[in-house]
Formats: sequence, structure tokens, C-alpha cells
Amino acid sequence: MLDILTAILIAGLTTGALYALATVGLSLVWGSMGMLNMAHAAMLTLGGYSAFTLCTVLGLPVIVGFAGAILVGAVAGGLLYVLIVRNLLKTDKATFESNVMIATVGIGIALENAILLTYGGQPLKQPISATGSFILGPVSLPYQNMLIVLVVIALMAVIALLLGRTRMGRAIRATAQNREAAQLMGVAVNSVYFQVLVLSGAIAGICGVMVSSMTQLSPPLGNDPMLKAFIMCVVAGLGNLPGAVAAAFGLALLEAFVQYVAGARWGFPTLLFVVIAVLIWRPAGLFGRVQIRRM
Amino acid sequence: MNKTSSSKGMSGNARIDLFVSLLLIAAAIALPFMIDSRYVLGQIVLALFYATIASQWNLLFGFAGVFSLAQMAMFAFGGYATAMICFYFGWNVWAALLPGALSAVVFSLVVGLACLRLTGVYVALLTLAIAQTMYLLIVTDTECFIMVGSICRQFTGGAVGFARFGDLGTRALLKGQWLVGNYAIIATLFAVTMVVTYIIVKSPIGLAFRALKDNPGYAVARGVNQFQAQLLVFGISAFFTGLAGGFYAAHFQAIGPGILSMSQLMFIIAITVVGGVGTFWGPLVGTIVLVAADELMREAGEFRTLGLGLIIALSILLMPKGLVGRLGDLLSWLRHRNRAAASAITFQEKPATTGK
Repeated sequence: MLDILTAILIAGLTTGALYALATVGLSLVWGSMGMLNMAHAAMLTLGGYSAFTLCTVLGLPVIVGFAGAILVGAVAGGLLYVLIVRNLLKTDKATFESNVMIATVGIGIALENAILLTYGGQPLKQPISATGSFILGPVSLPYQNMLIVLVVIALMAVIALLLGRTRMGRAIRATAQNREAAQLMGVAVNSVYFQVLVLSGAIAGICGVMVSSMTQLSPPLGNDPMLKAFIMCVVAGLGNLPGAVAAAFGLALLEAFVQYVAGARWGFPTLLFVVIAVLIWRPAGLFGRVQIRRM
Repeated sequence: MNKTSSSKGMSGNARIDLFVSLLLIAAAIALPFMIDSRYVLGQIVLALFYATIASQWNLLFGFAGVFSLAQMAMFAFGGYATAMICFYFGWNVWAALLPGALSAVVFSLVVGLACLRLTGVYVALLTLAIAQTMYLLIVTDTECFIMVGSICRQFTGGAVGFARFGDLGTRALLKGQWLVGNYAIIATLFAVTMVVTYIIVKSPIGLAFRALKDNPGYAVARGVNQFQAQLLVFGISAFFTGLAGGFYAAHFQAIGPGILSMSQLMFIIAITVVGGVGTFWGPLVGTIVLVAADELMREAGEFRTLGLGLIIALSILLMPKGLVGRLGDLLSWLRHRNRAAASAITFQEKPATTGK
């Protein structure tokens, strides 16, 4: 009984950590710019594959692969801003929300397909992973899962510091709270947008490495965590970071439990059901504030 | 002056719509006589399905502003319902089409009740999640529902789907020319869908949909019930999409979970975006352009999806209102230039006369 419980707990916490990372990347962008990045899944995949290229193909050390994934993710985020978002922001404000969504859907498909064409569809092994497990009495903790949870906790701390303590973080939070007011106070909103997308791209890169180290590298790698991250964002209220992390862990534990009790295929439908129930009860999410928009 | 010219513009637009539709009907009738290739005619039938779905997604998103990503789920629901009624109860396909479409409406109302209290992106995310759940549940279905001979059959058909549950009856009736018969049926379906969509868009309820899209706060303040109106448009759109799904299943005599895949949904979105979101003819123009582009890219084989993704992103960047919107810009620019030229002439004439 105990070992089943710990297995569920370990699985839930590990996937929760991964979902939290994916959710934070999405929620950051949504919160500060009102943009839903549908290409986030492809950026995750890109991060995973760049680590593979650097470590397995070029034979560089693991730490270089890790840094490379972060860098590639950040560059992808930056390019997304320069090529797409900047131009869409110039057009009508009212249609930005749906236009940017459609545009990033297109970019996401193109990127995923480009990866498929470059690396092929067969699953590859992520080189950045740990084997073996830590035995603690009756409980065995795989190093891989511990690594993921530790990396995610460290990363969360870095993001919290970045947002809470630095000048850049203050600018991001100010823009998220009130774009016009921030602009009037001298915040360069456009460069904030750029920074946010670069930051979320870097997070996506790390997340991609972590996700693929749990499973395998394949072009549609990012889609599953992304779909769940969407749901978690919605439950927490889009743009709410601490809420998103809490929702990620809560729902991942629930998913792990349901998958054990009812079989793997009912995990996602149960999540969806919970989300719909929550949204009927609180349409702006659990932690989201009801926004009153002026006309 | 301003008023009369704008009302004139309206009737002018209606006249253009009528003219275009007459032209299209003529082209649709002439088409099977001009095309010998079975492959081309088959692709045209497929394109008509795409155009029907895209026109309904356009009604939902372009006119009513509901960003639903469950459009293919409605299509699949209608198709599956039709196929399952035929498969399990042995009904004729024609009898099963309407129940299939109605069950898609019921499904859409359930989805709508869950989603439409929300707005914008929340609707998009939830409908996407619902569509993905439907796909996952069908693909992972392995439980035996009935045994057909020695083969186990899942209730939802599993990853294989349903096949051989009947057809539209054109094969028995027209023998070798059955594809032309199917083409006529699907073209009629498309025409009926377009006519009904036109009536809806021009009716008071259509104006309410548009008002909700353009300025929800103001529309609600003027007495439009947002939830009811959006649920209504959700249901209408699902009816025609589900009906098209039934015809799709009957035309191909097969239906599987493949139509729920992300790339199919993207194709529909791409069609609408390229053609012009919120324009009546947009989905048709988009279908023609994208199906043609798709055929050309078939030569390039594996780069198809890559090209499609880039087309979506580029067209939203370069022409947010799509090809039809750009055409409208061009027309108004030409009209403006003509008027400017005319006024320039009168302006030139005036000092000349006074000079005399």
C-alpha cells in the first residue's frame, strides 16, 4: 500500500514539476502581454532537440547541452517577437488576441514540422538524464525524478527573484498590471515584451529537456504537456504565476491518482472535467480576479 | 448624402453577392462536364467539405466572435453519429444523416453550456481540450463492444473507425458515374449551407452576433443576451458541420479518428484566415487557394505541413482580413482614386471657367 502511494506521489510530483514549468512559461506571456503562445509546445520540443544535437551529435558535455537548450529557446522567443508579435502589435488592438493566437499556431506547426524533417520521426534518447535510484528504506526514489524536481524548484526560485527583485522584473509586473500606466511612467513596453518572450523561450527550452528526459525525444513531444499546461493556466486564472504552480502540482497529483485507479486513458478527461466544473463555479479561474473591462 | 450612398453600397454588395452566387452555380453545374479526371473531381468534393466546415467556423468566429477550436470535433461527432446509427441499427445512410447532425447539435450545446460563460482565449483553450479528449478517448478505446465475426469491435470504432456501413446510394443508381452524383449532393449541401448562413448573417440575430463580436459590453447593454446568442450560433454552426460530417462519412464510406487531428483543424483555420475572417466569401476563396496550394505542394511532399504553417502565419501578418478583405481594400482604393481623379478634374475645370 505504501509503495503504491509513494509511486503515485513521486509520479505526481515529477509531472507536476514539469507542468509547472510549462505553465509558468505560458502564464508569464499571457499575464504581461495578453498573448496566448500556441507555439510554446514547439519551443519545448526545440529545446529538447538542441540538447540532443549538442550532446549526442557533437559530443559536447552535458552542461553545454543544457545551456544550449536554454539559449536556443531564448533565441526562438526573441525571433517570435521580432518577426511576428512586433508586427501584430502595430495592427488593431482588438484583434491582437485572436490574431496572435492564429499566427503562433502556424509558427508552431511549421516549427514542429521542420524538426520532423530535420531529425526524422523516430524517437531519440535524451542524453541529459540520470539513471539509478536512491533507496530509502522501502521507498526508492529515481535520481531522474529528483533531478527534475530540484531543477524546477531552482528555476522557480530564479524566476521569482527575477520578477520580484530586479528592475526588469518590476517593469514586467508593472506592464502586466496596467500597460498604459506603465508606459506613461516611462517603461519601454516593447522591450518588456521582448524580454518576456525571451524569458519564456528559455524556460520552454529547459522544460523541453526535462520532459524529454522522462520520455523520449519526438517531434510532437511538447504537445501533451502544453495541452495540460493550458488547462492548468485556465484553472488558476490566466496570468497568475503562483496560482499556476499550485494548480500544476494539484492537478498532476490528481492525474497520477486517477491514472492509477482508473487506467491511463481517463487521466486527461478527468482533468478536463475538474476544470470545467471549476470554471462554471468561478469563470475567471480559482485564483483569477474578475476583470471589468472598460469599453 | 452620406446615408444614401451607404445604403446604395449595401444594395450594391447584395447585388455583387447575387452575381457571384449565380456565377458559382453555373460553374458548379459546368464542372463535372469539364473534368474527366476522377482524382480531380474527388479532390473537389473534398474541397467542398472543407469549404462547408470553414464557412461554419467563419460564422462562429468571424461573425459571432466565438473562438472555438472544437469545429472538427463537431464534424467528427456528426460523422461518427451517422456512421454508428447505420452500423449498429442498420439504418439507411439518408435516414441517419439528420439524427447525426442533431446529435452534433446536442453535443455542441453541452460543450457550449460548459464553455460559453467564458470569453475569448478561455473558450479556445477549453474547446481545444475537449476536442483532444474526444480524440484520445476514441483512439485508446480497446474494450470490446460487440463481436463482428471473430473481430472485436469497440463502441467508438477505436483507432480504426467505422467502414462499410452504407453509402449515399449513388453507386447503385449511377454505376460508373457515382462520383458525379456524390459531387452533386455535396455541392447542394454546400450551397444550402451558404444560403442559410447568408440569411442568418443578414438577419437581426446575425446583427446581434456581430454586435457581440465588435463590442460585447455595448451589445449586452443594448439588450442582447450574450450567452443565449452565442449558444444559438454554436448550435447552428454545429448543425451544418455535423451534417457535413455525416455526408463525409457516407461519401468516403468510412470515418476514423484521423479527422480529429490537429492538422485538419489547422487546415480549416488556415482556409478561413487566408480567405478572410468575417467575410462571407472568405472561406470559399480560402478553400480554392489553399487546396490548390496543397496540390502544388504535394510535389514537394514532406514540406506540405511546413508550408501550411508558414502560410497561416504570413497571411495573418500581411493580410489580417484575408484575400477577400484585401480585394475589398483594392476596390475601395480604386473607387477612391476614381473619385479623386473626378474631383481633380472638376477642380481643374473651375478656375478655368472663372478665368474666362
